[in-house]
Amino acid sequence: MTSDPKIQIRNLYKIFGTDPKSALKCVKDGMDKDQLLAQHGHVLGLNDISVDMQVGAITVVMGLSGSGKSTLIRHINRLIEPTDGQVLIDGEDALLLGTEALREKRRSDMSMVFQKFALLPHRTVIDNSALPLEVRGVEREERKRAAAGWLERVGLGGYENHYPYQLSGGMQQRVGIARALTSNSDIMLMDEAFSALDPLIRSDMQKLLLDLHVELKKTIVFITHDLDEALRLANHLVILKDGAVIQQGEPQGILLNPGDPYIEDFVSDINRARVLRVKSIMQSSVSASSFAGDIDAEDNLESVIARSGGETGHTYRVMQNGKAMGQLEMKDVMRALVPRATSGARTVA
Amino acid sequence: MAYYDGLFNVLGLRTWCDADAGGSNLSMASLLAKTKPGTADDGPLFPFPSMDELHQACSSMPQSRDFTASVEAAFLEVKDVLKLVLDPLTQPLSWLLELALTGFVSAPWWIIIPLLLLFVWYVARSVAVTAFVTLSFVFLGFIDHLEAAFQTLAIIGVCTGICILLGVPVGIAMAKSNTFQRALIPLLDLLQTLPTFVYLIPLIFLFSVTEPKLYGIAIIVYAIVPVIRLTDLGIRLVDRDVIEAANAFGMSPRQKLFGVELPLALPNIMAGVNQTIMMSLAMVVIASLVSAPGLGVLVLRGIRNLELGVGLIAGLGIVLLAIILDRVSKAAIARVSSDQTQG
Repeated sequence: MTSDPKIQIRNLYKIFGTDPKSALKCVKDGMDKDQLLAQHGHVLGLNDISVDMQVGAITVVMGLSGSGKSTLIRHINRLIEPTDGQVLIDGEDALLLGTEALREKRRSDMSMVFQKFALLPHRTVIDNSALPLEVRGVEREERKRAAAGWLERVGLGGYENHYPYQLSGGMQQRVGIARALTSNSDIMLMDEAFSALDPLIRSDMQKLLLDLHVELKKTIVFITHDLDEALRLANHLVILKDGAVIQQGEPQGILLNPGDPYIEDFVSDINRARVLRVKSIMQSSVSASSFAGDIDAEDNLESVIARSGGETGHTYRVMQNGKAMGQLEMKDVMRALVPRATSGARTVA
Repeated sequence: MAYYDGLFNVLGLRTWCDADAGGSNLSMASLLAKTKPGTADDGPLFPFPSMDELHQACSSMPQSRDFTASVEAAFLEVKDVLKLVLDPLTQPLSWLLELALTGFVSAPWWIIIPLLLLFVWYVARSVAVTAFVTLSFVFLGFIDHLEAAFQTLAIIGVCTGICILLGVPVGIAMAKSNTFQRALIPLLDLLQTLPTFVYLIPLIFLFSVTEPKLYGIAIIVYAIVPVIRLTDLGIRLVDRDVIEAANAFGMSPRQKLFGVELPLALPNIMAGVNQTIMMSLAMVVIASLVSAPGLGVLVLRGIRNLELGVGLIAGLGIVLLAIILDRVSKAAIARVSSDQTQG
């Protein structure tokens, strides 16, 4: 993470309504979403968002419905125009682009995957995934060859001449992903891409995305309302509430140190054993005299617990790439499994 | 004395009223009143202040027949200019109609029928529909109504084609501009509700009754409305998510229109075309009054000469044509929509 961020969002505001400019002044003077709606009839979509999205990283923006996450992602390719602020892509202000330049940017530098797939129902799978190249004016044979390759990669080889309605939801979204990949753009925007899929398929698709990410190193912006999904995918996690960022950072860090009661509430429902990794809670010194065994820094706590067989006295040596990184005591594992803010006040109905 | 005399006296308009007392025409009512003097003032207690009633009290007030006369005069006034513009503009329509009519009638039946059936098969791809059309043609031919039916078909074909050619672009423009849509909707409402005979009246003044474009224009103006409306609707109903995807991948407005909007609106547009065809058929029968050839002429003959059988059989022929046109276009719609049904 030494190079400049691929996408920089600077003090971005979006206000929906008839006179956003004057409403903007009120917001900058500290009015909140409810007051703005009550006194001006304007809806505060985004409130002073600043996020850096690094090259080749997956940035996950998480929030509940109405938190402004879909609005935010649409500012990156300017499907929605901001009220105030900057969106820099490779250091260049995307808001200054004219119609033609913007279109060119969307064609070659960004691709998007949608929650409801948004495939063209009258076109075959291969014509759908070849769309970005067709828009750019690439020859029919060439774009079909490229699209066929990506369809094969997402596991849809043999379905080229089917129509979208003949495929299941998961397969349709694979077409959506193949379409985004065919455009061969550096940036992939994914708007709740897996939210409409059932849990098993969703898990498959997350794995597919992670594999593709390792392979292609694209800059991915992923929107979701599901914390499990966010924690699984994110290199950088941004949590939105009422149009404002309430915490952002490395996901394990957020999980261990939630900065806000809202997030504490969120993370308390998470299966921490599966999400937390050894490297996040280990001691970085190797001091114990004997170890019960070696574990990998990327292992999750669930696998460590399984390995210990319930024994809480063990200490393990943490290895990464064949080198000893530190040690992990099982009592630290147990402690990490309890959310910091867990209060006896949480009642079970 | 007339009921409203007092009103004009109070307003002090008496001198203005009587200025040309002698000049007004006698209405039938007042003529009758003169012959039977006793009943002159037996009108209603409080008559509606209509033009005619006011005229009785004040002869300077215009009568309502002056009103209709002035509408006529105004139309005749602009008629020559209108004709000068419209005549050359619409001349190709006459040529097209004449060409189609002579083409359909002069071609031998053993060429034209297979051609039509091939077309039906191509559009509908349905054995049942094609078989039904074949049987209908055989029946119409057997009772010697084939020529008239083909004339009717030729006129409908030309007029529907022009309706689509003009209507689809207008519909697209309506879908793209809310202002244009708001401006056009009242006009479309007017065209759709104006009684069919009323279309013919100004056209008769503009063109000579022997010209095919006279009925051509009447049919087009009457039948173009649904194709415009449903093109507009179809494009507005295209899934917003799909349009957003098209934008996100940088499609130009042109690529969006031809690659996304029109194909997705096609089932709706074709429903509009189906309505347009049916309305053309309705109008082409009435257009026989102004020399449109075809089955309508036979219906008209049935009415004029009280030839019951001729009228009824021609009517049956029209029903057959209506069923053919409807089933063929509906089969085409079903085929197009099944290509993109989701889920």
